[in-house]
Amino acid sequence: MFLKKLSIAAAVTALAAGAAAADCTNTVPVKTISNAFPAYESMAAAMQACGNVTSELDKDHRLKIVDAFSANPSLYSMTSLTNSTSVPMIDADLLRPLDDLIAEYGQGLSPNQFIKIDGKVMAIAAFANTQHLMYRKDILDDLGLAVPTTWDEYIAAAEAIQAAGVVDYPIGHYFMDGWNLAFVFVNHYLGEGGAFFNADWTPSINNEKGIAVLERMAKLASLMDPEYLVSDTTFVTKQLQQGDVAMANLWASRAGAVNDPAESSVAGKIVMAKALMGSEALAATVWWDGWAIAKNIPDEEAEAAFKMIVASMTPEEIAAHNDDALWLAPGFTPGDAAIGAAETFASGMAAPYPMNKHIGSMHNALGAGLAAYLTGSKDAATTLADIEAAYITDAKEKGLLQ
Amino acid sequence: MSSPANRQPLGLKLVSNGFLALWCLVAAFPIVWITVMSFKSPLDAFDSNPIRVIVGPRTRDIAGGLSILDIVLGLLLAWALIRLALKWLPGQVRALSPEGRHWIGWGVGGGVFALATLILFTVILPAALGVLNPLAGPLGTDVIGLTTEHYRAVWVDRGFTRNFANSMVVTCGVVIVSLTVGTLAGYGLARSGSSFAFWLLVVALIFRALPHSVLVAGYLPYFISSSEWLAPIFGESAPTLYGKPWAVIAVLVAINQPFTIWMLRSFFQNIPQELDEAARVDGCSHFQAFWRVIVPVMWPGVITTGLFSFLLAYNDFLVTSLLLDAQNMTMVPAIANMFNRETTASDEVQAIAAAVSITAPLFLLVMVFQRQIVSGLTAGAVKG
Amino acid sequence: MKRKTFMIFVGPSVFMMLLFIAAPLVSVLWQSFHLTQPIYTQVEVETCTPGFPAQICTTETQIRPQLDDNGKIITQTTFVGLQSYRNVLEPERLRAALDAGSWDQLMNLRFWSALRFTLVFTILTLPLVIGTGLLIALAVNNTLQRIKGPVIFISLLPFIITPVIGALSIRWLFIGDGILTAALESWTGRDIAMFAQGWTIELMMYLYRVWHVAPFAFVVFYAGLQTVNQDAVEAALIDGATRFQRLRYVIIPHLMPLVVFVTIIHLMDAYRVFEEIVGFSASAHVLSLQWLTYEFLLPDGTGSRAISRASASAMLTMIGIAILLAFPLRRVWRDHKGR
Repeated sequence: MFLKKLSIAAAVTALAAGAAAADCTNTVPVKTISNAFPAYESMAAAMQACGNVTSELDKDHRLKIVDAFSANPSLYSMTSLTNSTSVPMIDADLLRPLDDLIAEYGQGLSPNQFIKIDGKVMAIAAFANTQHLMYRKDILDDLGLAVPTTWDEYIAAAEAIQAAGVVDYPIGHYFMDGWNLAFVFVNHYLGEGGAFFNADWTPSINNEKGIAVLERMAKLASLMDPEYLVSDTTFVTKQLQQGDVAMANLWASRAGAVNDPAESSVAGKIVMAKALMGSEALAATVWWDGWAIAKNIPDEEAEAAFKMIVASMTPEEIAAHNDDALWLAPGFTPGDAAIGAAETFASGMAAPYPMNKHIGSMHNALGAGLAAYLTGSKDAATTLADIEAAYITDAKEKGLLQ
Repeated sequence: MSSPANRQPLGLKLVSNGFLALWCLVAAFPIVWITVMSFKSPLDAFDSNPIRVIVGPRTRDIAGGLSILDIVLGLLLAWALIRLALKWLPGQVRALSPEGRHWIGWGVGGGVFALATLILFTVILPAALGVLNPLAGPLGTDVIGLTTEHYRAVWVDRGFTRNFANSMVVTCGVVIVSLTVGTLAGYGLARSGSSFAFWLLVVALIFRALPHSVLVAGYLPYFISSSEWLAPIFGESAPTLYGKPWAVIAVLVAINQPFTIWMLRSFFQNIPQELDEAARVDGCSHFQAFWRVIVPVMWPGVITTGLFSFLLAYNDFLVTSLLLDAQNMTMVPAIANMFNRETTASDEVQAIAAAVSITAPLFLLVMVFQRQIVSGLTAGAVKG
Repeated sequence: MKRKTFMIFVGPSVFMMLLFIAAPLVSVLWQSFHLTQPIYTQVEVETCTPGFPAQICTTETQIRPQLDDNGKIITQTTFVGLQSYRNVLEPERLRAALDAGSWDQLMNLRFWSALRFTLVFTILTLPLVIGTGLLIALAVNNTLQRIKGPVIFISLLPFIITPVIGALSIRWLFIGDGILTAALESWTGRDIAMFAQGWTIELMMYLYRVWHVAPFAFVVFYAGLQTVNQDAVEAALIDGATRFQRLRYVIIPHLMPLVVFVTIIHLMDAYRVFEEIVGFSASAHVLSLQWLTYEFLLPDGTGSRAISRASASAMLTMIGIAILLAFPLRRVWRDHKGR
């Protein structure tokens, strides 16, 4: 039985490879490095089917790509990039402008996919991601609650659910100490219309808006499982799947998993909705994920690499992996899981996550400093003042601030 | 053993064995538990009710499982095989293998036995049970949910075999190089009474204190750009150190040297100096004395030290995850890769299955070398 | 042994340590006194990213590093003396906290809070590891001959298991409604969240470390027990020594060098505690020194590292270990001279 399964699996793999190798045959060796998760796995597989492509799927790729692309010739032909990982690559001028290649081979791509810096296309976005509301329709309907659209409504609904005793802790949120917790602050602060920096890059988060965000975070924390400081995206996904929480604000890319019958005991009951409003904008940021090609490689290799990018985003490929991500390339049909993201994007009120040097340092300082407020060892103003001080020290050491 | 000093009152016996039983439970429980989890569907594996995790009702509905008959027959077969391995196999090995070459016999015998066990459990037993289960009525219906799907996903779909091979290359490389270099140094340090030797040891120990993350982050840019800065020496063929298993072997050997030379030095100090001095009087050089007199008697200590090197290399995460590329990735960072931005509950159970898989070779290793560890340490590998 | 022969014997080992440990160490030391920064200039940048339906383009002032003719980033290095150490140690705020006599204020300083945890962790787990190891060794030594093998095997499991995996498996048992938390809840009848407050996480980290390292102490001590001089034990017995006295005056002194050995190894490893912080996601409540170093070293979201502070923090960690090791090493020195 087991052996039979094995051989079937092998046969299926072979078939898939044969089918995809339609007309993208590649003769120039191309080496890729990318983050490791299903959307990249499917793109890497599509590229490999064309031949002569070696793909590295590496969770730690961001620690390696700057050095790897600085080598001459570059260790890889192309890499995956996001809003934030693109910054050091563009700073060190390690990416090849793609305009000429797009003109020649990129007709199948959508112009919306082009990441342009000063008019030059430096990367091709493959899919987008954002954060939005996911809620248990059955619970909200039973209690006669409307779907919340703002954070105040969300908190009110959560309190109602808790009062009704449906679940112990009505909401889940990725409050894990470090990057996640800082990211929550970043989103909410942008939702309040806050700006992180003054004109001279000195910090400006210790204000009413910052304090309002902290107070809201504390309010949210009080409605969450007390282990919220270790709750990352996977933890929140599991809370939703196991019916432990009634609502969550989560990454759009998890919308498929929460209703996956193999993992979820409440499959089909969770509905997606638009991200929640802060007082001025949605407390959500838009992220793109895509590919960029190294500068330090021969033109021939760059050309082959670009063809591979195109081959990984044909309408057939996108259709075959439709639910792996919110694809930007033509051929994507948003399903039920994509409703929340689609509405969030369509509103035009979710900003892209900033692409500048200073936000990295600020995000770090927030990640290290916010927990002290939630654990109660500092008050809001002290927390924000300490974070500003930590940012100044850090930015000065990194040369970002004079 | 029966000396009066070892005779104990009943109370002490009870307390001491009770403590031992408790400790064994504590020591084995987490490992046994993740093994159980690795055979269940994600919903069952992370259930808060332990009975449901063991029985796995949802796994049973999806993927089937074991009937009482399966369990009884499986246990009987396992018991028979263990009896065979303990009682019958040693005799056969002794009778059939050439005199003085028992280890060949053990290698062949063990290999054949392991293969037979594998075939019995994966082919013959399932086939027999496939016929018997429908006939056995209630005894033949599945009671415990069990799925090997996660293991298949790890080893087949995720290509874990390649990671396994890479781990073996790195680990064996580290053990061999580390012992070769460390044995020489340990012997040198043991036979030199100078203060210099002592301070060398202390400095090595302080080196051991440097946080590995700092070391590795320091190597990374040099390893990646090595074809540029090595070009003046090697010309066109200058290698890129990043991603090369042998470069990682060198790093791990160096990181592990302080511990290795410390252990081997203590061990050599317990080999009487008269032995090699006698050889020296007979006109041997230091190296000849080392080769002829010390090497034959050093194996207990070397095997013990080697096991520690093995553990370090096999379990290393920081060095291997940063300095190896995907082609040469070893098992531990490969498991860490499963916890990525989009980790699902299924990924987590697969990571558990992978974690159990990588523990299995360690099990075997300790089973085989258990006696050597203790005797090596007894022989003085750790005399402070 | 002549110096030259000695050097040939230890040469390869010393060479590898010099190349892979000493050289980075020197560079860490140097970097802790210097600051290497790119030279940035202000530029106006127009960035277009995917929008819905059309792209979103924004123009903002950013900073860009200057590049040289070869396209490499131009950096300038300045000697900053002890500035990076000051940034790590925060002496002014330390003084303020001490003047105020406020422990909470002191624990809000990252380095000092990390030092507090690291020291407590090291010093608390040391006797636990040695005590547990010794107890297991004595118990195994006294147990039936035929079950010794399996018991030793099981006892070694926590030590051989990959540390990351070990920490994760313990985490899975406790996190959320993990089965052990659920068991504790049904036993005490209260709602328990092991990861919700600092002290439970700290407790789990202590227990995990003891669980993980005690087997090492056990196997070393057990090996030592095999070489206890039976004549001395019997002589003590004839003198009427009780079981405890025999343990105290014959067996423990015999094991003393091994205790020193285990102490040295444990001090070094425990002072660099790191896996536990990751495995138990403890960073919101407790920090360790190595975690602090790692935090500085990890590039932030946009790729810059705080190398100088990381170096300073690594040097401080090493100094700490050197101080802690001084005590057991004095004993080794005496033994070495005594030979």
